Amino acid sequence: MAVSLSKGANVSLSKEAPGLQSVRVGLGWDQRVTDGSAFDLDASVFLLAENGKVRSDADFVYFNNLKAADGAVEHHGDNLTGQGEGDDEVVSVHLSRIPADVTKISFAVTIYEPDVRNQNFGMVSNAFIRVVNADGGAELARYDLSEDASTETAMVFGELYRHGGEWKFRAVGQGFNGGLGPLARSYGVNV
Amino acid sequence: MSISLGKGANISLDKEEPGLTRILIGLGWDTRSTDGEDFDLDASVFLLGESGKVRGDHDFIFYNQLRSSDGSVEHTGDNRTGEGDGDDEAIKVNLSQVPAEITKLSVVATIHDAAARKQNFGMVQNAFIRVVNDATSREISRYDLAEDCSTETAMIFGEIYRHGGEWKFRAVGQGYQGGLAALARNFGVNVG
Repeated sequence: MAVSLSKGANVSLSKEAPGLQSVRVGLGWDQRVTDGSAFDLDASVFLLAENGKVRSDADFVYFNNLKAADGAVEHHGDNLTGQGEGDDEVVSVHLSRIPADVTKISFAVTIYEPDVRNQNFGMVSNAFIRVVNADGGAELARYDLSEDASTETAMVFGELYRHGGEWKFRAVGQGFNGGLGPLARSYGVNV
Repeated sequence: MSISLGKGANISLDKEEPGLTRILIGLGWDTRSTDGEDFDLDASVFLLGESGKVRGDHDFIFYNQLRSSDGSVEHTGDNRTGEGDGDDEAIKVNLSQVPAEITKLSVVATIHDAAARKQNFGMVQNAFIRVVNDATSREISRYDLAEDCSTETAMIFGEIYRHGGEWKFRAVGQGYQGGLAALARNFGVNVG
């Protein structure tokens, strides 16, 4: 049932699930065991306007700001009950409640303190992002990031975006050197 | 106001834009903000005869051959990153100067070195190709490459062709495997 996307591809969620109201975006990855230093990956969400930037810092959802747009976007942190689906982090998005001026929602995963800990995405494998219909749990779209990133410390996994009156999902899988700070700044967040 | 042409649809340039002689083909995209090699998109035009092939290699207008021998087609130069607003590459066509034996101009958009760089149009932000009345700046047709051609690395945008004594434009919007070299060979160009 789920559309499996390749890098760069996009799919209409509205077409996959007519009447779609709300989705859960799941992000997951395996960590290769290295020399035991702690390895902390975090999912971040950026609510973007037409110009590709956040409207304000409140549009940046991450571990210290779990809700945006009056709760239309909610990051569930690391507290999963472990249903075995494999999602390491989950973000709920109530599509019908996203403000009209937000045209894109970008999902990124970053390594916490990568320079201090000398870590990069080369150490991460089997990364994926998937979009699940919150009503009923059907997986609508999935992107398995197949290429191993090497020196990047942040990765944009995918994005939800409006197009022609529908909500669509695009598989991005593009890295960003520098980590969460520079990535957030590139989206217009005051870091 | 741009005419939104569905794939396969055609319009009469002469009827839609009376007096039209000069058109501009514009290709634009955003520079890469993520890590990795630049996105280098290229616009090219093939001047084709009745056979659907070029008369010779000189009928292939691209970043290494900017002008047609008769001056009817002129490419304004290669943009290798997408730097700049609006059209990053432009090809000007003076329809009144196109030789009579040329019955069709095929307009293509390709990504340079796509296979080696592992890039496709879907990865390029705001990539588009359009056709404009160069005299009035009115946009005749536009194609959103990133959105509708996402997993492709080359595509035939459209064709400008003669029909019943007038010039027409057909929206093709078809992807093509193999990149610019394969496209050029398909049109009869001798690619080294």
